[in-house]
Order: sequence, then structure tokens, then C-alpha cells
Amino acid sequence: MIAEKSSPKSGENVWLWLIKIVSGVLIVVILGVHFVVNHAIGTGGLLTWQDVVNYYSHPIVPIMESLFIILVVPHSLIGLRGIILDLRPSRGILTAINWLFSIVGVVAVVYGVWLISVLASQPH
Amino acid sequence: MTINTTRNWLVGAIRWFDPRARQVGTWAFSLNRITALGLTLYLFLHLIVLSQLAQGPKAYDGFLATIKSPIFIFGEFLVVAAGIIHGLNGLRIALNSFGIAIPYQKQLFYGLMAVALIGCAFFAVKMFLG
Repeated sequence: MIAEKSSPKSGENVWLWLIKIVSGVLIVVILGVHFVVNHAIGTGGLLTWQDVVNYYSHPIVPIMESLFIILVVPHSLIGLRGIILDLRPSRGILTAINWLFSIVGVVAVVYGVWLISVLASQPH
Repeated sequence: MTINTTRNWLVGAIRWFDPRARQVGTWAFSLNRITALGLTLYLFLHLIVLSQLAQGPKAYDGFLATIKSPIFIFGEFLVVAAGIIHGLNGLRIALNSFGIAIPYQKQLFYGLMAVALIGCAFFAVKMFLG
């Protein structure tokens, strides 16, 4: 068997990879808390609207959940981009994907943080 | 895209799921990719659906009543399981990527998937048995 030298795929970026790895490790911690709160507490594991508002009234929660959305959206989009790279897209398609994912990512993060601020500002 | 290119692309994608002559590393890779796709899809659906929260208690609690059916709870459980598996496998990938525990990556994978199994069992009990 001929050993082939490993080389990066076109479009790979070491900084995006590093962001994905570091965000992934942080997400594991926050997601653990998120899963327990949303699925292991309360009847049937799901919180009512009032439970959610009470949960978000703790000062640390909006910060943690905002950090979660800021980490998980880029992590998922960079990961998805990595999968698409395996399909060897053309330079034009990759550029379009980069723009699309950047826009979707920013919109998702802004929307998520907005939603968190709405919940945190509700009377409890 | 020519027919042959499309066919090759499809064959390549389907090979992710072909269990023949696979080593555990390939399974770990495929498992991470499949859970990643499921979680990404769920993430964006989740963000859209959570707009119900901003509409107040009637809208959200009404929505909750809809998704407390067994099929939705099972779907939620699959998301939780995917999150646990992807997260723990991702920790192994992070460690190996920095040169840590590379000679033991197979044992690490098996150990972390055993932990994932326990985590999934815990959430299955909580979600299905209340």
C-alpha cells in the first residue's frame, strides 16, 4: 500500500478548526447544564413558560445561555462547513457558503441573544 | 454536474453508513458526523420554535402541550442522545487533536461511549417516566 502524504483540503482554515475545538469543549459543559435544566427537571422534563422565566431571572443564566448561543452557532456552522469541504466544492460555491453561513450565524446569534434578553426582562 | 459525478457523490455519501470492513475509528467518525447533522438541524429549528417563548405563556404553554406527545418526547430524547454522544466523542477528538492519549484513542472512545450510554439511560428515565 502506498502511503499518501496528508495535506489540507482546499478551503480548510486552522483558525476555524481551533474555534470549533475550543467552542466544542466549552459547549459540553454548558450543554450539560442546559440538558439537565430542560429535560431532567419538571414534570415530563419540559419547563412551563413561568418556569423558563423564573430560570432566566437568575443573573448567571442569561449570561450562560448567551455564551451558549455564541459558542454553539459558530461551532455547528464551522462543522457543517467542514462536512461540505469533504464534497470538494468549487471555489465559487465555497465562497457562497462562507457568506451564507456568516450571515445565518450572525442572525441566529443576534436573534438568540435578543430572545434571552426578552425572557430575562419578564416579571417573575 | 454530470451523472457520473452525481453518482460518485451519492455513493460516497452512502458509504458513511456502510458497516462492512469498518474499523472503530471510522464508526466514531461517522457517528460524530451523523449526530452533528442532526444537532445542527435541530439547533435552527429550536431557535425558530422558541420564538413562542417571546409570545407569552399562552402561546408557549400551548406549544408545550402539543410536544408532550410520545413521538415528540422520543424525538427530544434522540436530540439529547445525539448531544451526549457528539459532545463526549468531541472531547476525545479535542484531546487527540492536541496529541493527548493518541495511543489510547480506541479505549477512550469505548469508555466515553459507555459514559454516553449511562447518560442516555438517565435522560430516558427522566423523559419517558417523568
